[in-house]
Amino acid sequence: MKRLRLIIAHEYMMIVGKKSFIIMTLLIPFLIVIVGAVPVLIAYLNESADKSVEQIAVLDQSGGLGNALVPTDKYKFIPINATGAPETAARDFYKKASESLTAVVVIPADVEQTARVTIYSEQTIDVSTKEYINGCLGDTIAACRLASYGIDNLEKIVDDLKVDMSVNSIKWDENGNEQTTSTELSMVIGMVLALIIYTFVLMYGAMIMNSVVEEKTNRIVEVVVSSCRPVELMFGKIIGVGLVGLTQFAIWVVILGVGGSVLSMLGLGSMAAADPSTMQAATAAASEEGMDMQNMLAALGGINYGSLLVNFVLYFIGGYLLYASLFAAFGSAVDQASDASQFTTPIILFMVIALYAGIACASNPNGPMAVWCSMIPFTSPVVMMVRLPYDVPIWQQLLSIVLLFATAFAVTWLAARIYRTGILLYGKKRSFKDLFKWVVNK
Amino acid sequence: MDFITVKDVVKQYSGHRALDGVSMNVPEGCIYGLLGPNGAGKTSLIRILNMITRADAGEVLLNGEPLREAHVENIGYLPEERGLYKKMKVGDHIVYLARLKGMERTAAVKAMHEWLERFDLTEWRTRKVEELSKGMQQKVQFIATVLHRPRLLIFDEPFSGFDPVNAEQLKGEILRLRDEGATILFSTHNMGSVEDVCERITLINKSRVALEGAVKEVKRNHKKNKLSVMLDHDAVLAPAPEVFDIDVSTPGNAVIHLAKGVEMRDAIAFLNEHYPLTGVTELLPTMHEIFIETVTKNQEEEETA
Repeated sequence: MKRLRLIIAHEYMMIVGKKSFIIMTLLIPFLIVIVGAVPVLIAYLNESADKSVEQIAVLDQSGGLGNALVPTDKYKFIPINATGAPETAARDFYKKASESLTAVVVIPADVEQTARVTIYSEQTIDVSTKEYINGCLGDTIAACRLASYGIDNLEKIVDDLKVDMSVNSIKWDENGNEQTTSTELSMVIGMVLALIIYTFVLMYGAMIMNSVVEEKTNRIVEVVVSSCRPVELMFGKIIGVGLVGLTQFAIWVVILGVGGSVLSMLGLGSMAAADPSTMQAATAAASEEGMDMQNMLAALGGINYGSLLVNFVLYFIGGYLLYASLFAAFGSAVDQASDASQFTTPIILFMVIALYAGIACASNPNGPMAVWCSMIPFTSPVVMMVRLPYDVPIWQQLLSIVLLFATAFAVTWLAARIYRTGILLYGKKRSFKDLFKWVVNK
Repeated sequence: MDFITVKDVVKQYSGHRALDGVSMNVPEGCIYGLLGPNGAGKTSLIRILNMITRADAGEVLLNGEPLREAHVENIGYLPEERGLYKKMKVGDHIVYLARLKGMERTAAVKAMHEWLERFDLTEWRTRKVEELSKGMQQKVQFIATVLHRPRLLIFDEPFSGFDPVNAEQLKGEILRLRDEGATILFSTHNMGSVEDVCERITLINKSRVALEGAVKEVKRNHKKNKLSVMLDHDAVLAPAPEVFDIDVSTPGNAVIHLAKGVEMRDAIAFLNEHYPLTGVTELLPTMHEIFIETVTKNQEEEETA
């Protein structure tokens, strides 16, 4: 045990002590934060640039409809009168006017029938301006048309017809208590956890393989295994590198947490103010999905974080052990990392299949594919993460965990047999047949 | 007392028997040469002694006890193919390997400082291994091998890669370790170094022991009854086929080998009687010659068989 601890500490420090590790670990969250912050910053800059009021001239030929354009902080409407062709009149006015005029809106006399107005300007009109004008005039024209039917209370009837459906999903727990859930939220949480496992296993698996190959090419391995058993070295490596991953993960969580809260204090308020139309759209989308902010918070509270965390850790360990020992075994069978692709391609293929199965399962988390893929140990760590927020039957969870760990231990045992032979053999290119022989040899 | 006893050890790899009933006894405090051509099975035997692999059959005793895991702390191994963690600092590296061999940190650090000083490497302690020259790396490896004061040291080609000055220093250190009580197993192709330092040898050829014994004894057993003869006044040796044949003859010197059944002292008496003899030296075969002779003889036997 003392030797194992020593090897774990050594493997850990070999990676954590590297400058490149420190730089990458610190840099990645900043990159993420920067990527997240850029839109906020741009919105913020936009807002401060947009402080100027846009002056829009209105050439109203409809007689009164121009009043529907209500001025705001951003838009100021100047009614103008003109005779003759509206286009020439608009152009004349635009040319004569001071520079601050943005555009001229021409409301034709037959606007109630055609529902068509024209905006003239030297620059392309931006979408929000267009939408504002559209909204103001559209509502008024709709009201006028309604009034033209001459039916009592029609406006009220129409309002009644505007149904805004909202589907709240409420789940009963064992005690019959109600919990608000959210399908969308479950999906997001599941996918994020699945992606973390996927990324971690591949990234650190490759790291283990490189470390094994490096020791072998360095020839230091012969000295080390004359002091400890090869199995100890392999496990020391797997555990040490696993701890590196956890360290990196913890650092990122802290940095992202701190960075996120700082950012939300600085940025979020300004973002909300910056772009009212997107905020409106977002709220609209949310209410379409039957989800207002309160519901979202209730759903966040409705997830069983304890069980999710326990499961995440279990699948994380099981999946990592399974793939890491394979990477270690294959690393031991080659003389240089570039020769390893023939062995690693199947592993990476498995992982990619797992990821795609996970994505597919998100829309049907209790379908046959989801159930099968969450049982097969090579895909279960990723797929089960997607399924878990949707409440998987407990027997399936248990079976899947047992299968995963049974397979992980079996594969580790096989890997150790390959490893202890592989690390001492040089020169020849090995095939899967050779690896099989090493396993069988006593 | 024998420190290592190897008895009828067999090691089988798929399709190849690396060791076939090999036995060897290494006395305590001895510098023992393990010789043999490439692929003879030396590395296989060394790996069994290091417990990197296990013998399929036979027995290995260390200090009278069957080999077990705790013994690795009493063994230091310098493999032929040298390697270190290139990114590690010299001092850390030495301490790590020593602690793997069961040494406590403080003791390891203390010994590391002593050894670095002995090899003039003190200023390199905090440098990375990859910054060192090849010769310095070899020294670091040597230090890592001996730091935990093992009772058994296994050196596989220890002098390869050393320049003559450093090789001499290394030889001195090896002899010093022997004097301090360590038993040293020495695997090499360099027959010159065998004559220099080894007391006993085992020669393995084709997975079997071909020759075994004390170096002096082995040489005596392989002697060809050759004499180097020195004569005064540039005298020239005349043929005397009933006593000896002349291999080389120059004025004042000659190399002869004795005829069958002639004792050396009779030959010397004969020379002394007929020539102004100033000196006679028995020419023993070098280990180099014995090595080649043994290996080629084995080959011929195999071909005729």
